[in-house]
Amino acid sequence: MNVVPRSAPRIPALWLLLFALGGLGTLVLLVLIVGILSGVIPAIVIWLGGVILANIAIVRFIVAATAILLFTIPTAFVIIFMELKVIAFMNLRIGPNRVGPWGALASVVHGLKVLSKEDFTPTGADPTVFTLAPVATFVGSVMAFMVLPFGPGLFGVDLNVGLLYFFAVGGLGVVGLLMAGWASFNKYSLLGGLRSAAQMVSYEIPLTLSVVGVIMLAGTLSLNGIVQAQSGSFLDWFVVRQPLAFLIFFIAATAEANRTPFDLTEADSEIVAGFATEYSGMRFGFFFFAEYVNVFLLSGLAVVLFFGGWTSPIPWPWPIHFALSPLESLIAILVLLIVVPVVASFLLAIPIWVIRTRLSFARAFAMGMLLFGPLATAAVLIYLVINLDALLGIIWFFAKAYVFVFTFVWMRATLPRVRIDQLMGLAWKWLLPASLVNLFITALAILVVHP
Amino acid sequence: MAVQSPSLDDPRVLVDTPAAIVDAIPPYAPRSEREAEFYALGDGQMLLNIGPHHPATHGVLRIVLKIEGERIVDLDPVLGYLHRGVEKLAENADYHHSIAYTDPLEYVSSLFNELAPVMAFERLLDLRVPRRAEYLRVLSCELLRVSSHILFMGFMALDMGGLTPILYSFIERDEMVDMLAALTGQRMLFNYMRIGGVNGDLNHEFLSRLGDWMSRAGRQAEAISTLLNENEIFVKRTRGLGAISRGQALNLGLTGPNLRACGVPFDVRRAHPYSVYPELDFDVVTADEGDTYARYLVRVEEIKQSIRIIDQVLHEMPDGPVMARIPRRITPPPGRAWAAIESPRGQYGCYAMSDGTDQPYRFRIHDPSFVNLQALVPILPGCLIADTMAVNASLDPIMGGVDK
Amino acid sequence: MIPVPGKGIAKGMALTLRRFFEPKVTVQYPEQAPHIAPRHRGRLELLYDEWGALKCETCFQCAMACPIECIDMGGTDTRDRFHVHWGPPEQYAERREEQALRRSGRPVPDPAFRSFDPADTSRLDALLDAEDYDPQRLLPILEGTQEIYGYIPVAAIKHISNATGIWYAEVYGTASFYEHLHLEPPTSHTIGICRCPACSLFGSGTIRTVVEQAAGVALGGTTPDGTLSLEPSDCHGENGGEPWVTFDGIRRAGVTASNAALLVRAATGAREVGGMPAGQA
Repeated sequence: MNVVPRSAPRIPALWLLLFALGGLGTLVLLVLIVGILSGVIPAIVIWLGGVILANIAIVRFIVAATAILLFTIPTAFVIIFMELKVIAFMNLRIGPNRVGPWGALASVVHGLKVLSKEDFTPTGADPTVFTLAPVATFVGSVMAFMVLPFGPGLFGVDLNVGLLYFFAVGGLGVVGLLMAGWASFNKYSLLGGLRSAAQMVSYEIPLTLSVVGVIMLAGTLSLNGIVQAQSGSFLDWFVVRQPLAFLIFFIAATAEANRTPFDLTEADSEIVAGFATEYSGMRFGFFFFAEYVNVFLLSGLAVVLFFGGWTSPIPWPWPIHFALSPLESLIAILVLLIVVPVVASFLLAIPIWVIRTRLSFARAFAMGMLLFGPLATAAVLIYLVINLDALLGIIWFFAKAYVFVFTFVWMRATLPRVRIDQLMGLAWKWLLPASLVNLFITALAILVVHP
Repeated sequence: MAVQSPSLDDPRVLVDTPAAIVDAIPPYAPRSEREAEFYALGDGQMLLNIGPHHPATHGVLRIVLKIEGERIVDLDPVLGYLHRGVEKLAENADYHHSIAYTDPLEYVSSLFNELAPVMAFERLLDLRVPRRAEYLRVLSCELLRVSSHILFMGFMALDMGGLTPILYSFIERDEMVDMLAALTGQRMLFNYMRIGGVNGDLNHEFLSRLGDWMSRAGRQAEAISTLLNENEIFVKRTRGLGAISRGQALNLGLTGPNLRACGVPFDVRRAHPYSVYPELDFDVVTADEGDTYARYLVRVEEIKQSIRIIDQVLHEMPDGPVMARIPRRITPPPGRAWAAIESPRGQYGCYAMSDGTDQPYRFRIHDPSFVNLQALVPILPGCLIADTMAVNASLDPIMGGVDK
Repeated sequence: MIPVPGKGIAKGMALTLRRFFEPKVTVQYPEQAPHIAPRHRGRLELLYDEWGALKCETCFQCAMACPIECIDMGGTDTRDRFHVHWGPPEQYAERREEQALRRSGRPVPDPAFRSFDPADTSRLDALLDAEDYDPQRLLPILEGTQEIYGYIPVAAIKHISNATGIWYAEVYGTASFYEHLHLEPPTSHTIGICRCPACSLFGSGTIRTVVEQAAGVALGGTTPDGTLSLEPSDCHGENGGEPWVTFDGIRRAGVTASNAALLVRAATGAREVGGMPAGQA
C-alpha cells in the first residue's frame, strides 16, 4: 500500500495575500487618521499644492515627459508587432500566433528576451562611447516627442519654434548611430555609422525645405499652430495644397527613419547589421526602440503637417460641445468611468430587488452590475468621444498616424533596397531641386492670393 | 633586421593583435606576388572581409574586398569552406553508392548532380536506358530547374533587401519538393537517378500534385516578377551592373544562363543533346546585355520554357519499364567516359574512369557554379559594396557545388 | 510608351496589399500534420510485430547498404547477451566509451562492453595464416575459432574482420546464422520431457530414448561437462497433439524422434564429428 506523506494543510495564497493586505491597510489607515488628526497631512497637502501651483509649467513638463517616456514602450511594441504581422500577411504567412491573442505579445516577449541577454562589449571597442551611443539615439527620438501634439491641449510643450526644435532634436539620433559605428571597432559598424551620417545629413535638407511651404501657409513654426491652421474639413489639410511637398517629405522621412528602401545603415545583406552589428542585449534594444519610436514620430509629424493632426476629416456635426481643459477632462473621464457605471448599476439594481424581494440586495446589485455596467460604460465612452475634443483628437491622431506606420511597414514588405550612390543622388539631384521649386511656387501663390 | 611594431598594413601582423582580429590579413607572409599586391593597402583603402558567415554569400563564400570608401578596388574570393571530398569518397564507394555522394553537391538542384554521374556510368557500361526512364528524368529535372530558378529570384531579391520574394519562392519550392518527394521518396537529396533508369515510376500522388501545380504553374514566379521586373529601384540597381561581354564570358568559361545573358545561345540540351531533349520543343533564351538584369531576366524566361518542356513530357510519356536490367554489382570494362548536362547553373559535367573493378578509378565533377564564380573578379572592381551581393546573387553560385 | 516613374513600385505595392488579404499558406505544424507521400523514405523505421517485439534481426544489411554510412547500429542482442555494433569508426560506441574513460581518468564499468575484452589472438593468427586470410573460407575460419576459444568472442570477430577485410557485419552475420557456431561461452542447457500418458501416446517415450542416447545420461541427470541436463517436465494437459519437449524452459514444437538429437547437439555445441557426439568419438 502506498502511503503518501501529507504535509500540513496549506493556507491558500489568496487568503495569505488578503491577510497581508488587511494588515497593511490597517497600518496605513492608522497613520492617516493620526496624520489628519494632528494636522500634519493637511499641512503637507496645502504646502505641496502651493508648490505645484507655483511651478505648474515645470510639473506639467515632468508629467508630460514621464508620460511620453512611458508611451514610447507600448508604441514600439505595437509597431514591432505590426511589422511582424503585416509583413507576414503580405508574405502569405501567418506570423507570430503563439503568445497572446494573435501573437500580440510576441513583441513583448522579444523585449524580455532582449533584456535577459548578455550585454557584450567587444574587445577593442571604446566602452564609454559604445555604451552611450544607444542612449543618445533613444534620447534624441524621445525628446522630439515633446512638441508633437496628440490632441487639442495634449502636448509636452507648445514651443513657438516647435518644428525647428523637432528637426534639431531629431537630428541628434544620427550622432548616436555615428558613435555606435565608430566605437564598435568593427568595419561593418563603421560603414553603417558613416552611411547613416551621410544619409541623415543629405535628407535633412529636403525634409526641412519641403515643410517650409507648410510653415508659410500656416504662418507659424508651432506644431500646435500648424494643426489649428488646418482645422475644418479635409479640404483644409495642407496635403491638398502641398502635394509635392508631402511626397518629398514622405520620401525624406523614410530615409530619416532608416526604413526600407532607404535602410542602408543596417542593410542586413550588405553590412550585416550596420552600426548595430556588435550590439547585444538591451543596448541593441534601445536602438530597436529608437528606430520604431522614430517611425511613429515621423508618421505623427506627417499627420500634423499635412493631414490636419488631430482634427477630424469632416466637421463634427454634433451641437453639444464642452470645451474642457486637458486636466479637467482627465478628471472628468476618471469620475465618469468610475462613478457612472456604479451609480447606474445601483439605480438599476433597486427595481430588480423590489420586484424579486427574495433576492438579497448584493445579488441584485451584482446582477445590475453585470446587466447595466457594460451598457453604462459604453454610454459614458460614447458620450466622452462625442463631447471631449481631446479624446476624439487622440483617436483621430492615432488612426492617421498608424495609417502611415502601416505604409512604412508595407513599403518594407515590398521594396528592395537602393544603393548608396543612388540614395545620395536622389536627395541632391531630385528632392532638393523639387523642394526648392515647391517653395518657389508656394511663395508665388501666397503672394498672388493673399497679397 | 629591425623589429617593427605590426601595423594594419603589414601582412605579417600577428593573429592576436586586435587589428588582426577585424582584418582579413592572413597571419603569414604573402605566398605569391598577387597576394602581396592584394594585401598591400594604399592610402585610404581598407580590407573588408565578407563571409564565410555573412547573410548574403549563398553559403560559405568568403570575399575579401579591398575598398576605398564604398568603392571596391580589388577583391579576393576565398573558397573551400564547404569542401567534403565527394570525388574521393565516390572513388572509394561502388558505382551505385557514389551517386548518393553527389547528391548534396548543388543542394538546390540535386537531381542534376545525380544525372551527370549516372549518364557517365551508363556510357562506361554502354547501357541503353528505357525511354520511359528518360522521360521521367527529364520531367523531374525540369521541375527542379523551375524550382531552382524561382529560388534564384527570391534570393536575388533578398540580397538586394527585398523581404517578400524569397517567401513566395519558397511557397513554390515547397510544393515542388513535396511533389518530388511523392515521386522520388525524398524532399531534397533525392537519390532518384539510378544507373540504367530511375528509382520509381509515376504514381498517383505525384500525378495529382503535379496536375494541381500545372494548373497554376509559375504563379509565384509571376508574383515575384510583378514585384521586381519593373520595380524602379530593382532595375536601377541591376541594369548595366556587372556587364560581361561575349568574349569575356567565353574566355572565363561561363556556361548556363550567365553565358546566355551575354548573347551566346549555348545550351547543352541543344548543343550536345542528351536524353530525349532532341525530341522536345523549347527555346534557348538569350539576352544581349550581359548585365545583372539580363541574367535575371534570362532565368525568369527559362522558367516558362521549363514549364513548356514539362507539359510536352507529360503528353508524350511512353509506356514501359523505368529500369534497365542490370546486375547489382556492376563492373564496367576499363575505360573513361564524360557526360555533360545542362544544370540550372550551366554545364554540369562528370568524368568517370573505370579500371574494371566495382569502384570508379577516377571520378571528377565539373561544376558550373565554380566556373561562374570566377566572373566576380573581373566584374566587381569599381562597383560598390552593395553591388557585390547583387552580382553574386545574379551569378547564382551554390557553394556546395563550388567547394565539392 | 513613356515610362511612368513609380509605376513598377506601385504595381508591387498593389500586389503586396492584395496578398495581405489572401488566404495564408502556413502549415501550423504540430496541430496540422502535413501529408507525407506514401513513397517518402525520409524516416528510418524499425517495425514491430503484433506482440510488440522488435522485428529487426540486427542483420546489418541496412548498415552495409547505406552508401554514406549514416546508419549506425549498436546494442545488445535480443537475449541481452552480447554487444554488437556496426558503423563508421567515428561512431563506434566502444570508441566513444574508451575516449570518455580516457578523459575522465577513471574506469567506468559497463557490462555491455565485456564482450569486447581483448582475446589472445596468437592461435587465431595461426589459423588465419593457415586459411590464407581467404574471405571465401570464412566458415572454416569461424569453426576453427570456435575450436580455439570454445565459442566465438566479439574480439575474434573484429580480429577476423581486420585481418581478412571481410566486413564485421558479414562475419557476424555468418557466425550468427549457423546454429553450430556460438557467440557466447558454453553454458548449461536443460531439455525437459513430459512423461504424462497423453505425451507418451504422441511419442515422448521414443524422444526420451533418443535424447538419453544422444546425451549419454538418463533423464534427471547431467552430462559430465555440465553443458546439458535432462529433466522431467509437465505439459499440464496442453500438449496440443504433440509431445511436450522444452529447451531451456521454452516449449519446442515439432520435435519428433528423428530430430530430437538435434536439440542435444545444439546444447552441447559442435563438438561432434559425423553426427556422433564428440565425447564418444
